[in-house]
Amino acid sequence: MIKRLVTGLAVLWAAATASYVALLLAPGDTVDILVGDGPDTPEIRARIVAEWGLDRPEIVQYLSYLWRLLHGDLGRSYQLQRGVGEILAGQVGPTAQLTLAAAGTGVTLAAVIALVTAGRGRWARGAASAAELVSVSVPPFLIGIVLLSVFSFTLGWFPVSGAQGPRALVLPALALGLPVAGVLGQVLRGGLERALEQPFAVTARARGLTERALVGRHALRHALIPAVTLAGWFTGTLLGGAVITEVLFGRPGLGQVAMQAVTGRDMPVVMAVVLLAAVVYVTLSTLLDLAYRVIDPRIRG
Amino acid sequence: MRRLIPMLLLALAACGAPPAPSAQGTALTWAIETQPITLNPQQWSQNKARLLVFNQFDALLSKTEDGSFRPWLAKAWTVSDDGLTYTLDLRDDVTFHDGEKFDAAAVKANLDQFRVPGYNPAVAAIQLRAFDEAEVVSPYRVRITLKEPDALFLDFLASPYAGQVSPKSFKSAEDLKFGGPDLVGTGPFILDRYVQGQEIHYRRNPAYAWPPAGAEHQGPAHLAEITYRFLPEAAVRVGALTSGQVQVIEGVPATEAALIESDPELRLRTALNSGTAYAYYFNTSHPPFDDRRVREAFREAVDVEAVLRSVYRGTATRAWSIVGEASPFYDTTLKNAYGGDVAKANALLDAAGWKERDAEGFRVKDGRRLTVREVASAPFVRDRRDVLAQAIQAQVKQNAGIDLQVRILDQGSAQKAWDDGAYELFGNSRGDSDAGAALNLILPEQGAINRTHFADPQVDEWLAAASAASDPAEREELYAKVQRAAVLEHAIVFPIYVPADQIAAHKSVRGLRFDPASGTPASAYDVRIDT
Repeated sequence: MIKRLVTGLAVLWAAATASYVALLLAPGDTVDILVGDGPDTPEIRARIVAEWGLDRPEIVQYLSYLWRLLHGDLGRSYQLQRGVGEILAGQVGPTAQLTLAAAGTGVTLAAVIALVTAGRGRWARGAASAAELVSVSVPPFLIGIVLLSVFSFTLGWFPVSGAQGPRALVLPALALGLPVAGVLGQVLRGGLERALEQPFAVTARARGLTERALVGRHALRHALIPAVTLAGWFTGTLLGGAVITEVLFGRPGLGQVAMQAVTGRDMPVVMAVVLLAAVVYVTLSTLLDLAYRVIDPRIRG
Repeated sequence: MRRLIPMLLLALAACGAPPAPSAQGTALTWAIETQPITLNPQQWSQNKARLLVFNQFDALLSKTEDGSFRPWLAKAWTVSDDGLTYTLDLRDDVTFHDGEKFDAAAVKANLDQFRVPGYNPAVAAIQLRAFDEAEVVSPYRVRITLKEPDALFLDFLASPYAGQVSPKSFKSAEDLKFGGPDLVGTGPFILDRYVQGQEIHYRRNPAYAWPPAGAEHQGPAHLAEITYRFLPEAAVRVGALTSGQVQVIEGVPATEAALIESDPELRLRTALNSGTAYAYYFNTSHPPFDDRRVREAFREAVDVEAVLRSVYRGTATRAWSIVGEASPFYDTTLKNAYGGDVAKANALLDAAGWKERDAEGFRVKDGRRLTVREVASAPFVRDRRDVLAQAIQAQVKQNAGIDLQVRILDQGSAQKAWDDGAYELFGNSRGDSDAGAALNLILPEQGAINRTHFADPQVDEWLAAASAASDPAEREELYAKVQRAAVLEHAIVFPIYVPADQIAAHKSVRGLRFDPASGTPASAYDVRIDT
């Protein structure tokens, strides 16, 4: 457990350092960003450099950055002129809500479709497979626009934007969850079908187990292993997709903050978002390691 | 399947008629494109967020269409003959939202706030560079002294920067630079909720009785509540409007204008922005644009009307000068004075030595192709300026054999290209309410965004004289000379179109106007819903 904790911290440090170095190497100068589109005189530049401590050597700036991080101080946004912690604090909730809802939608859809179609006739499998392929290959932006046009603009079932209760969450969660359902559904069905050909399935059938019980109780466990392995990819897709989904639906959240920060080269915000993603990733992969043991008793040994 | 989706959409769109807006009469939702990066009027920097400022705050003066000024929180003002002393007589019936009295001491506190280091260094160095001191003469009279005459000082007093903040809240605001509900103004609406990435909500100020002179009505605002929702995607804004989920939107792209105009329930309004036109500026510091003939040839090679028609479907207004048509300083004599003469373009290029052509049809001189680079920063590319650049690229290639390369980069890379001089063209428009302020940044040899490297002592002299002159007619004459020098004599600029703002609304919404100072949507003070 201690080993895992150390690895986790090392990953976080690496993420902090890598994002720092990447932004340092990116073209353009921090002072330019702070000056922005506004008036630009040597006097203004000098004031900005002094105010933000940009005249110190890079290594000093880096160390003071790490030191502040250790104290939970994420710094101040260049663009928004506010504390980064304060900016992100209000955005974590809506993004967590959206990604969890999308994950739930994706997993449920995938499981239902896989369980219903695994081992069935060519038609059912073909139709499910085609739907999955479409949901994976169509860009999330287009899925979102189509969902909005149909269910919000035309039918008026759901509001277009905002975190206005559960109804406003339905369309963004679908837009974000469909690609996940597509990939997961294929993997799950593949796993189920392979499991159903295993000798244990024959034995179970011989014991008189119904097909439904066999699929639901035994085969699903086997199929879950490859699906759970995809969870890393899954997190990335959800966080990345959140950027597009949040902007499109006018939802608050980390995605739209991250997008604004990247185009405006707002270093402190970008780095904080990268760190946050790393924290989520490390936590999740630790939890998954534990989940493997529950799903597959063979790993426990 | 991909072809099926649009068909499905069309079929569905055909069977659903847009519902009418919720007819409460006193609450309105307005979808806007751009989120404010600050709610403090004195930190304001985005023209697209200007429509929010004067809901919560009032300025000392207001600016009219012809460039003159009207009373607002200052009911009268005088300027001394030497242009150094401004005396303002203030209204005595104004209170801030926190119950504090608005008076001469408040005006002084607001001006002095800009002296706080780091508060807003840009305004301190530009708009307030001549500011010396503010004195409280009597409770409702304040005297402002300048170090040197500044014709733009009244413009400052009518700008968002002169939005009056309760001095008490300068100290109590949790985040002064960002503002928010705890940074208090005197405006017709009180900010009570801001959700980043989602919306901003105001409720009516029931005590309001001090609109600027010339407002459509007196007393409190018509609307009890107004919500501005942030919807950055144009198609989503239009969909929200046509489905009645919002009653007003701003930022209607040319591609959606026809859809709105064909809907009998909706109305579309457009206004030209003040400030400068969108123009390509030539980098005169190195070849090929160090040669005036090549600059002129580039301009002559483009059929601007045709380009605008194809890119903006007839909704864009052609520009003829650096200064936009909506500004009182626009020099009308420049109209049709140049441009669109392809034969002339080719003759000029021949004369400048670009005679040969390579295999692809581009002109060549001394073995080098006539290549020019336009560098733009992605966050500032709007109004389909990327498509516009492609249309111009096609024209200069076909008509004159010029190889225009369009580079849209992130802000950092674009800044580096500009610093390194690695560009021959750069596109720019500015939304300053006084076009003179923009000219002062672009044209003088030491101008902050003089990326043309143009240097003409005569032009610098005219600009300085115009900044010091208080007579609008005198300024107009000087700026006309400046425009003719830059556009005709030196040909350092290729004006393309005058940026505009659009508002689309349900037909029951009345009182939507544009702010004459900026050409952007005005505050919601006069807005009402007819039921």
